[in-house]
Amino acid sequence: MEEIYNKLLCREDQLKNLLDFLGDSDEPLPASLFVSGSMATGKTLCLTTVLQYLNYKHVFIDCIECYSPKIMYEAILTGLSDDQVDVKCDSLWELINNLNKLGNNQNSYEPIVLVFDRAERLRNMDQNIMSTFLRLREFCNLNVCTIFVTHLIYDNFYFKVGAREPIKLYFPNYNKEELFKIIFLHQKSFVRHLTNNHNIDCDIKEELERPELFANFLNAFLSVFYRPCRDLIELQHMARVNFVKYCEPIIKNEIKSNDLSKLWRHIAPILKTSLELLYLRINNTKVPTQSPGKENGDTMQPQCYNFENTLKEELLSTKTFAQSFELPYYAKFLLIAAYLASYNPPKEDKRLFMKNHGKQRKKLQQVKAKAKINEKLNTQLGPKVFTLDRLLAIFYAILEERIGLTSNLLAQIATLVELKLIAGSKEIDLDSSKYKCIIGYDFISAVAQTVGFNVRKYLYDFI
Amino acid sequence: MHELLDSNSLTQIKLLRKYLKLKILEDDIRFRHHKSERDHVYNLISRSILHGESHSALVIGPRGCGKTTLINSVLHQIANEADLVNDAIIVKLNGLIHQDDKIALKSITAQMQLENAVGDRVFGTFAENLSFLLSCLMSGVDRKCKSMVFILEEFDMFCHSGRTQTLLYNLFDITHSKQAPMCVLGITNRIDVMEMLEKRVKSRFSHRHIFLFPNENQTGVEKSPLETCKEIFIQSLCMPLSLAKKNVMDTPKRRKGRRSVVSLEKMDIDTEDTQYAISEEVLTRCKVDSKQFQCLEYGFIESWNAHIQSIVEDQKLIDCLEKFSYYTVNEQLFKDVLFQIVSKLSPSKPYIEVNDISSIIDNTVSPEHRVKLLQSLSILELSLVIAMMHGMQIFDGQPMNFEMVLHRYTKFSNTNSSTQTVPRPVILKAFEHLQELEIIMPVRSTDSIYNTETTTSRVQKEYKLYTLAVPIEDIKEAVKGFKVLPTEINHWFNNSVL
Repeated sequence: MEEIYNKLLCREDQLKNLLDFLGDSDEPLPASLFVSGSMATGKTLCLTTVLQYLNYKHVFIDCIECYSPKIMYEAILTGLSDDQVDVKCDSLWELINNLNKLGNNQNSYEPIVLVFDRAERLRNMDQNIMSTFLRLREFCNLNVCTIFVTHLIYDNFYFKVGAREPIKLYFPNYNKEELFKIIFLHQKSFVRHLTNNHNIDCDIKEELERPELFANFLNAFLSVFYRPCRDLIELQHMARVNFVKYCEPIIKNEIKSNDLSKLWRHIAPILKTSLELLYLRINNTKVPTQSPGKENGDTMQPQCYNFENTLKEELLSTKTFAQSFELPYYAKFLLIAAYLASYNPPKEDKRLFMKNHGKQRKKLQQVKAKAKINEKLNTQLGPKVFTLDRLLAIFYAILEERIGLTSNLLAQIATLVELKLIAGSKEIDLDSSKYKCIIGYDFISAVAQTVGFNVRKYLYDFI
Repeated sequence: MHELLDSNSLTQIKLLRKYLKLKILEDDIRFRHHKSERDHVYNLISRSILHGESHSALVIGPRGCGKTTLINSVLHQIANEADLVNDAIIVKLNGLIHQDDKIALKSITAQMQLENAVGDRVFGTFAENLSFLLSCLMSGVDRKCKSMVFILEEFDMFCHSGRTQTLLYNLFDITHSKQAPMCVLGITNRIDVMEMLEKRVKSRFSHRHIFLFPNENQTGVEKSPLETCKEIFIQSLCMPLSLAKKNVMDTPKRRKGRRSVVSLEKMDIDTEDTQYAISEEVLTRCKVDSKQFQCLEYGFIESWNAHIQSIVEDQKLIDCLEKFSYYTVNEQLFKDVLFQIVSKLSPSKPYIEVNDISSIIDNTVSPEHRVKLLQSLSILELSLVIAMMHGMQIFDGQPMNFEMVLHRYTKFSNTNSSTQTVPRPVILKAFEHLQELEIIMPVRSTDSIYNTETTTSRVQKEYKLYTLAVPIEDIKEAVKGFKVLPTEINHWFNNSVL
């Protein structure tokens, strides 16, 4: 019992509740439990350890894996039967028949637990299934308990005519101190990760293994990262990445490991830049702030990494991403035209693209109206569809030179559609086809820059 | 009772806990109140079994008021009085499991133990099949048909809308023909169930409704829910003294003065004890040997019962129960609460604490999980929620997309230099996280605004429209109780609808 509490920090209350509810092996189990809590709060971990500790017969069903009822029923039955037989089970009725058979063969009142992980997926199935599982105990003669694990709260589960309510358990998020404690548990693995990837002198190694060093790093780390992110998994990942950088100057003997303020000054900008990569899982091995000492770390990394790196590098900024397409000159203009057509109202085209569009007086009323719907800018509402005619008209308006409308040009449109920069049909039908530009402002301004075009000047929102 | 730490008390408390858990979770036979309704059902079933009459009725009552328990208790009673095995066949169907008529028919065949008779026979219609089943029953030795009792739980699920209600039609039809004595009982919690029936089904139904309402006892006089709660509390938590009766006989060491008390109590015991005990049938169903409970000491049970009686008088407990009955009258929920109370018992904590009860009741009745979920968000995510809330306040609850939320958020973070700036992709991730937690929900009819062409109507994720799926009150509550919330966010939340 103590072991569990030591292994799973900061979940004492929840563990105690679980152990209480599941009780002793000769006691009846509750009909159903509903375990909820945000992501990465240790719900599944707590359940597995408790069930293993109690040594109850249990089946874990991941509702993503078991995406159809049939697969789920069969998973339950194969999980419960001792011998490996292929069970066929199509309906709830058969499932319950099989469970009853199982119960008749038992001579004791053995506890059985069915855990439905990611139970929010159950909502995609027939509603009967979940309501039946909520009261499975009533239908079969087993001492069975169903546990639903999900990140949603019970209110998000709607039942048309109601259902038997489960006992609810909530797992709150870890707070800063708890996160510190939990990440600190893995201090050894962090250091090992570091020492395995670098050639380090013995005495420096000892320095690195000092828990205070890691504690200091973690404090600094959490002070930056706790605000935008509370996800333990993500924090652990980011800590692993950043701890390496934290220790670099120590490895190179530039900063003493007990010089905290210097270390902080070293790490603060790094943390800030890596904050920008939170959740994105981009391996940025070439951040400008890095020092040359990093290089031996690079060479240690396996070669297969490299390809992915280049790809991620491109994703890193929209600019490089946009350039990676290497679009031809006219295609770029076509894309810009498409963007403009998508984000400008058609009735303003005349004003935006014609040289002599006549005077337009700004009425006070208009100005006011425009200020009021500041939030409803075209760029915020998303792209609108446009016809091919309009696209070509804008294209010729923004292109200074005169070129003929050739099939080559039209083929460019098909290419853009193929590249998923424009949404629409691939076949070009002059009359009916409609398109929509599905790239962001960042992308288009990067493209426009290469041909020396100012997109902002032609966007109605910014005039 | 103070030598708690020895092994004896450990087994005592474990036995007690087991017994109480069994009583709370497994006892589906005991039924209280609603005497007239129970008699009604009892009459119907017993008449069709004993006299071969045909009946149909609907038992209607809200969830967790004891409809199934009523049926179970009646069947239990009849099983004691009549020879159920030879005289009748009881077929239980549940709308949740037997969704379509085919499965229902299969299940009926199985429950009538007629699989062999049916074999590979192919039937044209449902009615043909059912009448064959009935005729099989008739062909017994004495040519006398067994009575059938059909119990249809979740009756409303059998009234499939859109499909024909073949099963119900046939069952009700048989109750009118002289084919076989049959009693059809439907159990449902939908009061409008009659409107779901087809016309031909409705006309064959006897229109006998039996309503079960909680808080109404046999005389029809309103009984306060608090009283009911208290009664169940005592009823479920008290232990029958008879379990340990033998020990009393074995230990005549008691002082003379107490003897008289014991004998006095014995008078009550016989009436009250049966009320507290679990019936033997339940125990055998649970494969529990009742002998093990004989190890319970008389003194222990006595002091336990005294403890329960004293705790019921506690004003704090009464307040808790009152709060509970204020929220719900669902007996099932109350049983869950009792189960949680009992499961907290352990050798180191042999008595019930009122504080535990109150926290359990609070948790069941108003868990406020949504507020807790909001509080578990990171500051960035909470800011997005607030931004969205403000935006929706301004535009009268119109849905917003990511760009609009981002616009509001950047407006806020630009005015407050102290907030760390995070790049757009990270904010988008946070936004998606909110969607994952279903704090914001996509608007389904998004496409109507745009052109509904299939290829172009798919909107990019930045422009998908969302609405806030949590009430503003909950956000307020969450912000109020948020731990270490930066002041500027609190200020922003309270102040500005910029």
